[in-house]
Amino acid sequence: MDQFIKWSNFSKIAPYAELFKQGLLVTVLLSLFTVAIGFCLALVLALMRMSNVRPFRSLGIDKNGHQREKGFLAVISKFNPLSFLATAYVEILRSTPVIVQIFIIYFGVFGMIKLPSFDMFGFIKFNRFFPGVVALGMNSGAYLCEIIRSGIQSIDGGQTEAARSLGLSQGQNLRYIIMPQALKNILPAIANEFVVIIKESAITYTIGVQDIMSAVNAVKGATFIIIEPLLVATAIYFCLCFPTSKLIAYFERRMSHGDKR
Amino acid sequence: MAIRDNLIEVKDLKKHYHGGAIKALDGVTTDIHPGDVCVVIGPSGSGKSTFLRSLNLLEEPTGGSIVFEGTDITKKKYKDENGKTVRLDVDELRQKMGMVFQHFNLFPHMTILENMTLAPIKVKGMSKEEAEKKALELLDRVGLKDRADAYPIQLSGGQKQRVAIVRALAMEPDVMLFDEPTSALDPEMVGEVLDVMKKLAEEGMTMVVVTHEMGFAREVGNRVLFMADGVLIEEGTPEDIFEHPKSARLQDFLSKVL
Repeated sequence: MDQFIKWSNFSKIAPYAELFKQGLLVTVLLSLFTVAIGFCLALVLALMRMSNVRPFRSLGIDKNGHQREKGFLAVISKFNPLSFLATAYVEILRSTPVIVQIFIIYFGVFGMIKLPSFDMFGFIKFNRFFPGVVALGMNSGAYLCEIIRSGIQSIDGGQTEAARSLGLSQGQNLRYIIMPQALKNILPAIANEFVVIIKESAITYTIGVQDIMSAVNAVKGATFIIIEPLLVATAIYFCLCFPTSKLIAYFERRMSHGDKR
Repeated sequence: MAIRDNLIEVKDLKKHYHGGAIKALDGVTTDIHPGDVCVVIGPSGSGKSTFLRSLNLLEEPTGGSIVFEGTDITKKKYKDENGKTVRLDVDELRQKMGMVFQHFNLFPHMTILENMTLAPIKVKGMSKEEAEKKALELLDRVGLKDRADAYPIQLSGGQKQRVAIVRALAMEPDVMLFDEPTSALDPEMVGEVLDVMKKLAEEGMTMVVVTHEMGFAREVGNRVLFMADGVLIEEGTPEDIFEHPKSARLQDFLSKVL
């Protein structure tokens, strides 16, 4: 039986180090953009889900000026289109595979919208990278939305009451009082999601993004060596993910000075 | 602006839930004059807190009016002196009404000093130095200057509530609203909070206080409102209320709490 790992194979794939380096850069950029897009999207979605926009509110009031208890009009009056849209988005994105979403975005959406084809940093193909970022960002936005929403809703209502009674606006309350506390509570979940994003970005090699996994494939195709490039990829992913979770754990400690006696 | 006799005029204030099935407030009418220390007493569920929270619109009343410094704050829009229609700025209104809560509601992620300077800096546009100087003066008045850099969790309940009071005072409100400020405190800490409130009353601050502390109501209040079932049953001087209660409801209540 062959050996599982042949050390000599590592020297055979050494000439392809540049490919892995490029792959690493792509994966890092992919993750950073995904996190940025995902986080912004999630914030908007979370606020939409928690909004209190009810355009048909007045239909719920009967002739005597009382709130209707039940019936079709009472249901309609409680309808919040913003919350409905955000909820539908989250549920659809969470209930379908990422790879399907990526293919729909790449072949479907960006099959219609022509992207300029140029290379970033001389080797990243923009018209493949961009759809990848959009698809991953849209996907992680759905997950992060639920994390952010749970964080905001975990904060005691008295905090908002105190902030508003001091004259802080709704936005100021969210920014200075609610979000800092919510963020601290959800950091472990966010760390988890960030690590998932780094690892999940590997799937974009299916649409031709030259990330770490595509480097593995290229080396495999050129040298017929399989295990060793995979081990290199494993090491790179670990070196990305492990420090990320450690970094977030550090922020978690730094933000927790309000809970120590 | 002309000096008004009434700081707050409450007229037929109503708060109904579920289409009138639950009446938390059912037509409360009263005036609060500058310098008043108005104590609201009554059994639990009588609408005392709802009444107080309606005054700065933490609860939106479903009927009646509240005129604060000449403006009906229950209307979303009103006409200013020039007859122009303007939107009611709830944030601006709330700056003029300090509120103290039963559960203190200090911001746990900020130091005491940050708790006190946030609103003056962000809302009033005060400089950081000025706000901190003022906050330290106020903290000194309640004997907590040395805790300025502590976090709320490091303080006792009584200390937290004293901080909550001066945090509200830092906005220089025209009236202070207290929602059962001593109900969540250990008995030995009630005194220190009441002392601060008493001092505040002596300095002439207009105060509306919902409390179960009958001693405070009698000693510090100049007016006592007795509420039950969302209705203002009796109001008068502490002597009227405690020595000569007229309604059976109040007599019954007093026999239980005194």
